[in-house]
Amino acid sequence: MKEPRYVRVAVWAGVALLLLWSLVPIYWTLASSLTPTVEFNQRPIHLFPQQPTFQHYFRLLGVLDGRLGGVDVASGFRLALFNSIVTAGAATVLCVLMSLLAAYAFARLEFPGRGLLFSAVVATLAVPGYAVLIPLFRLMVSLHQIDAYLGVTLIYVSAFLPLSLWLLKGVMDSLPRSLEDAARIDGAGHMRILFSIIAPIAAPGLTSAAILTFIGAWGQYVVPLVFSPKNTKPLTVLIPEFAGKNFVDYGLIMAGGSIAIVVPCLLVVVLNRYLIAGLLAGSTK
Amino acid sequence: MTLQTTGILPRLGHGVGKSADAVTAFLLVQPILVTMGGLVFYPLVDTAWDSLHRVNPMQPGTPFVGLANYTRMFSDREVGQAWLNTFRYVGICVLAETVFGVLAAALINQLRTGRRWVLAAIVLPWALPGVVSGVIWQWIFSPGPGLLNGLLVMLGFDYEGHLWFNDATSAMLGICTVHVWRMMPLTIVIVLAAMQTIPGELYEAARMDGASRLVMFRNITLPLIRGAIAVAMTNATVQAFNLFDEAIVLARNSVETRTILIQIYLEAFKKFNFSYGMALSLTVTFVSLAISLGYVLRIHRTTRLD
Repeated sequence: MKEPRYVRVAVWAGVALLLLWSLVPIYWTLASSLTPTVEFNQRPIHLFPQQPTFQHYFRLLGVLDGRLGGVDVASGFRLALFNSIVTAGAATVLCVLMSLLAAYAFARLEFPGRGLLFSAVVATLAVPGYAVLIPLFRLMVSLHQIDAYLGVTLIYVSAFLPLSLWLLKGVMDSLPRSLEDAARIDGAGHMRILFSIIAPIAAPGLTSAAILTFIGAWGQYVVPLVFSPKNTKPLTVLIPEFAGKNFVDYGLIMAGGSIAIVVPCLLVVVLNRYLIAGLLAGSTK
Repeated sequence: MTLQTTGILPRLGHGVGKSADAVTAFLLVQPILVTMGGLVFYPLVDTAWDSLHRVNPMQPGTPFVGLANYTRMFSDREVGQAWLNTFRYVGICVLAETVFGVLAAALINQLRTGRRWVLAAIVLPWALPGVVSGVIWQWIFSPGPGLLNGLLVMLGFDYEGHLWFNDATSAMLGICTVHVWRMMPLTIVIVLAAMQTIPGELYEAARMDGASRLVMFRNITLPLIRGAIAVAMTNATVQAFNLFDEAIVLARNSVETRTILIQIYLEAFKKFNFSYGMALSLTVTFVSLAISLGYVLRIHRTTRLD
């Protein structure tokens, strides 16, 4: 059935508006990160950098001397970038691995307390992180895990485990058991079945769980603000600090922001199918 | 191995396998149990317990104080203001995300080509770190060199150097804008998925009867996506209660725009009133769960009546 042309035009106009709303702030971040500081105050406003420059990135990464109020910006930034990658990466690997093992046990093995344990873990999806923040702080102080990679990584893992477990158990429940049965008859053990038969078929689910965990951990702010005050400080805590009390170096902030958003943007663009599958599975629990 | 097909042996084998399975299972769930037990369940119980005591690292001892930490909230002006702000944020953001999110999903649902890429572009804001989004919008809202004022001036409005964060109302609306920008993608994804499951024949039949688009949307689409809207609103509510990053970046910890979560953070980690902070966080948890449950029950009831 043909639709009238004005309907098509209206739909596309609406979608264009939606795309502008979603993408203009991101575009503006990237554009500003390439705009020399002197251009910022020019009016009328330029929507494209007139003389694009990498000076903000050079200062940020230490190619040029970049001191902000006597503080070495570059070494702090490089450390924060490293910290973000390490904590989010480690949390993702640990979280997916732990929930894969447990999902297999919950989906395939009989053991006392199975239903109860699963519900208890998944129920914590409803518990907001801040409900446990203060006791966690005291716990981490007593374990000497403040400003330590292990402490903050494990907190991320505990925050994203329930979702990941829920996703992977759902995936395993939907897989046919015939392949596993065949392997079992050939004498394959549980680990063999899990890693060489189930994991490859469940790869899309594993990808969804991994992206959700990585994006979540990468964007954390309150947790590292409390638990990673200095040496393990990630980008999310460092970038707002560029806005000092007396002056705000927006060039530097936008360059730092661009680097902090490039990673999740790439994940969304490349893996959006898995991301959306994961979001749906996670939200309709 | 061929013996296993004879009928009796499998049952025997099953019995032995069962206890072996249980041992394997416990080993497999061990890491999760230790992590969740240590970092979620124990702290949760600890929160409940300590909220009945006075816990402050600056003061010796942890005497039992009963419900004092809970009753104290009612006379605390800052907490009252933070609650009020939080409810305003929740109201504005949930409403905006639901209305615009459903509209956006309906638009995307009309697309025949490129739907996947449009969706990827729309999900982007959700994937960015909240504080970084806050910083990006702070730059857009900034009075001198900001994009918003620049565009408004370009269009002929007198917004040169306009301060968006000078009064509480416009500051809160600014913070809501950022929050809606970040969280609306979730609503869109959830509602769009529900729209895609509606069989096309329903619309075909309605079109035969000469129904207009608006009528079809109201009589076919809306009733069938009601469950998805409830899910999306529950998510939106929980997220709006969790509002922290955007507000603290855009308006620091100004009392006028402060959310309850910022209040808890300041109470616990600046003033070190641990047990008071715990009582507050438990209260917020219960309130946000109760509201979410409210939506679900309401939608459940109305759909059953239909």
